[in-house]
Amino acid sequence: MATPSKTPPGADPKQLERTGTVREIGSQAVWSLSSCKPEAVGINSSLMCLPSTCPGFGVDQLRDDNLETYWQSDGSQPHLVNIQFRRRTTVKMLCIYADYKSDESYTPSKISVRVGNNFHNLQEIRQLEMVEPSGWIHISLMNPRTNEPISTFMIQIAVLANHQNGRDTHMRQIKVYTPVEESSIGKFPRCTTVDFMMYRTIR
Amino acid sequence: MTVLQEPVQAAVWQALNHYAYLDAVFLAERLYAEVRSEEALYLLATCYYRSGKPYKAYRLLKAHSCSTPQVRFLLAKCCVELSKLAEGEQVLIGGVLNKQKRCSADSPTDRVAKGAECFQRSLTLNPFLWSPFQNLCHLGEKPDPDQVFRLSSLQNCSIAPPPPSVSPAQNSSHRLDTALMETPQDTLELNRLNLESSNGKLASDLSVSYIDSSLISPDTGSLLGNTVSMASAGSLLAKQNKPKSGRSLLGGPAALSPLTPSFGILPLDPSPGDPTYLQNYSSTMETQTTAPSKKAVSRISQSKSVFSQSGNSRDVLPIPFNQSQTSAPHSSGSPQVLSPSMSGPPNVQPRRSSRLFTSASSTAKENSKKLKMKFPTKIPNRKTKCKSAKTSNSTNLNESLDILRLDPSLSLPETKIPQYQRAAAGTIMALLRELGRGYLALCSYNCREAINILTSLPPQHYNTGWVLTHIGKGYFELAEYTQAERMFSEVRRIESYRVEGMEIYSTTLWHLQKDVALSALSKDLTDMDKNCPEAWCVAGNCFSLQREHDIAIKFFQRAIQVDPGFAYAYTLLGHEFVLTEELDRALACFRNAIRVNNRHYNAWYGLGMIYYKQEKFNLAEIHFKKALSINPQSSVLLCHIGVVQHALKKSDAALETLNRAIGIDPKNPLCKFHRASILFANDKYKAALQELEELKQIVPKESLVYFLIGKVYKKLGQTHLALMNFSWAMDLDPKGANNQIKEAIDKRYLPEDEGTHSERVSEPGTDEQRGKRG
Repeated sequence: MATPSKTPPGADPKQLERTGTVREIGSQAVWSLSSCKPEAVGINSSLMCLPSTCPGFGVDQLRDDNLETYWQSDGSQPHLVNIQFRRRTTVKMLCIYADYKSDESYTPSKISVRVGNNFHNLQEIRQLEMVEPSGWIHISLMNPRTNEPISTFMIQIAVLANHQNGRDTHMRQIKVYTPVEESSIGKFPRCTTVDFMMYRTIR
Repeated sequence: MTVLQEPVQAAVWQALNHYAYLDAVFLAERLYAEVRSEEALYLLATCYYRSGKPYKAYRLLKAHSCSTPQVRFLLAKCCVELSKLAEGEQVLIGGVLNKQKRCSADSPTDRVAKGAECFQRSLTLNPFLWSPFQNLCHLGEKPDPDQVFRLSSLQNCSIAPPPPSVSPAQNSSHRLDTALMETPQDTLELNRLNLESSNGKLASDLSVSYIDSSLISPDTGSLLGNTVSMASAGSLLAKQNKPKSGRSLLGGPAALSPLTPSFGILPLDPSPGDPTYLQNYSSTMETQTTAPSKKAVSRISQSKSVFSQSGNSRDVLPIPFNQSQTSAPHSSGSPQVLSPSMSGPPNVQPRRSSRLFTSASSTAKENSKKLKMKFPTKIPNRKTKCKSAKTSNSTNLNESLDILRLDPSLSLPETKIPQYQRAAAGTIMALLRELGRGYLALCSYNCREAINILTSLPPQHYNTGWVLTHIGKGYFELAEYTQAERMFSEVRRIESYRVEGMEIYSTTLWHLQKDVALSALSKDLTDMDKNCPEAWCVAGNCFSLQREHDIAIKFFQRAIQVDPGFAYAYTLLGHEFVLTEELDRALACFRNAIRVNNRHYNAWYGLGMIYYKQEKFNLAEIHFKKALSINPQSSVLLCHIGVVQHALKKSDAALETLNRAIGIDPKNPLCKFHRASILFANDKYKAALQELEELKQIVPKESLVYFLIGKVYKKLGQTHLALMNFSWAMDLDPKGANNQIKEAIDKRYLPEDEGTHSERVSEPGTDEQRGKRG
């Protein structure tokens, strides 16, 4: 088998945001992890540990817009990141930042994305393999049949395997995007020219 | 006791005049400790207020009983500043200054009708006041500028309309400020009232008292002269007519020694030399006759400093005119008297005006305080006496007094000098009329007319920040954003310190998506003034354009914190919440905006938008229509109403609305687009196509247009044209990767029974295969 080609990095999500087609909604959700490495003292991290108990390598680091800090898991596989929304939300894509050069054996290689209403009825909708990623990985969560973004209460990202069969994983940043309905009136796709957009709304 | 006080008082006024607040406060405190009189209290409170610490003045005055009107006035002003409106009103009502300041309290406490009435009355009393006119426009009333800004109302104040309303209750502090500002004119008017009307009605009393309080404002110098003469005149009349309590006010507060120094008549003249004041005063009389407009210009430059504090973006222009004007008509006797004695060459006037204005404390607050202090002089007679003691100037006053004594009616003196003054006043009035008409048109959203009126002003007035800003606002409301941007950038060039109206500029740039200009503006404004809501609105708009909605929300909240009475900040915040899909918070924001300003049609529009998003179309229509009732010329609003009506299945009404919208603004592409889409939905394909073809000419690069054309062709069965348009649409919108467009293309192939395409083989199997491949 030929050497699998490295997963190319995707575009910086910030650029995507600027186009106005997507909006980051991670702030509207409650994040939790299956485990995370505690700061200094060796506290046995339990399942569903909350960020407050894990300074240094927890959810905060996963959501702090800083690619230097990361979440480090501390348990058995699969490592889980749970994203729970207050209400049913359409999600278009996920962006995960992974860097093989800095994380090596901690870099996730197989990721499964599951959605559902709660912990008990999650269904896997995407599974992807990454080979030595070195940047942003875009995971599109569009329903392949209807080509619509999925609408869900909860998303679970499961790290099933790491590079070099590492046990724990590092995840530097995760972003969740919802599509933006640009058109303020009418069920039309967004307009592209400034001339049109000027008249779209009264501000 | 007076002897002891006067040098100290003079020193305090001197310090205040030179903005040495620390010194003034210190001395005033010593004086008050030494002499626990109400005058000293008043002086100390004034020092606190002028140094920018109204809370100190408030607490000081609260702790002691206030009997004199000026003290009550100051206390009421502090209350207004500290947003203790009900209390301020109470203070005002309790005292002789009954109705005057009540107006200020009225508006904010939502007694709109009363407030409007007060404004009207103040306008009838003193047509030089701009802020009541502005406030009336904001309230939605339509005062007629030609009626309001008339000299005749000045001349014949014998109407003695109830003066209470004189102080329009803008935003209380504003109002008071303006009231204070206007005092010179008011006082003048009141004096005139006193002079001319022999009826010692309560009205005149009140007007007098109004003048008293209002006198306090700007320009101690001119006022000094004026008030002195006024007071003398007034007192004379008071003697002749039945002295009313109000009238006594003229003389009454004179007891307050602080006034006396300020008048310059008395030995304790803190301002730069008494003679100058009287001279100034008389010379103003003189010079008014000559080139009034020139005078205005020179005055304006100086008065700008004086009046710029009013916090409104209003034109400073009228005020200086007023000053000169008021002085003119007022002391019917005094000008005459003074002029011969004091008559200087016409060029003295400009010189004088500078002295007048610059010597006086620069801030309106200070002015108002000063005026207040000055005005409530109890006994004009005493003043005049003191005056006579002072300098030759005072002798003039005495003379004037004599003259007044001789001829209480003062009809004779008026003939000569008032002529010139009338001419000057006439010029100002003409200008005010024009500005008033323009402003009224703008507030009723007759933007074209407003722009025309304001553009036809003489160039020296046209090239001012106020005028250009309002023209820019007119273009903004017409959705002509490029023109608006031009106007506003001109404003930035000539008056880089102007913040009023900059929030409109930032929204203009937001619409035009000029992020570089917007971020430069934002940086500039936030560096310049962190305490004005406009700067934070600009910053918020800047980040909103960059789609960083959380940061934009933060800045808009900051704008609200800085000024909770700034309706536009709430509206913008509401829009941000809509963009982040937090519709409940957005609803709350828009409602807040409406609470602050009922005529803020953007907020009504915002509410309509939210209901539309929530598919509550009826509610949406109601709110849009309410917005339309405030601004009937907005084609964007009409467009939205049309869409909502279509959603409510009232397609005919929708089409009619859209036709109206296109009639108002043929350049609005969205109206045509929506009309086309409604026609399409109603199966009128040909008409829709025609519409879209026209639209293509207007906005050739808009992918939506091609998308809709494609859909129409698809319905018409012309699949090749449809496909062509869809692919054009996709080309024009690569980043969007519109699923809808893709869908539209894909769907095309699914039902393959039509086979109208000439290239198609009529075999169903191959067709399907081809479709799937497509």
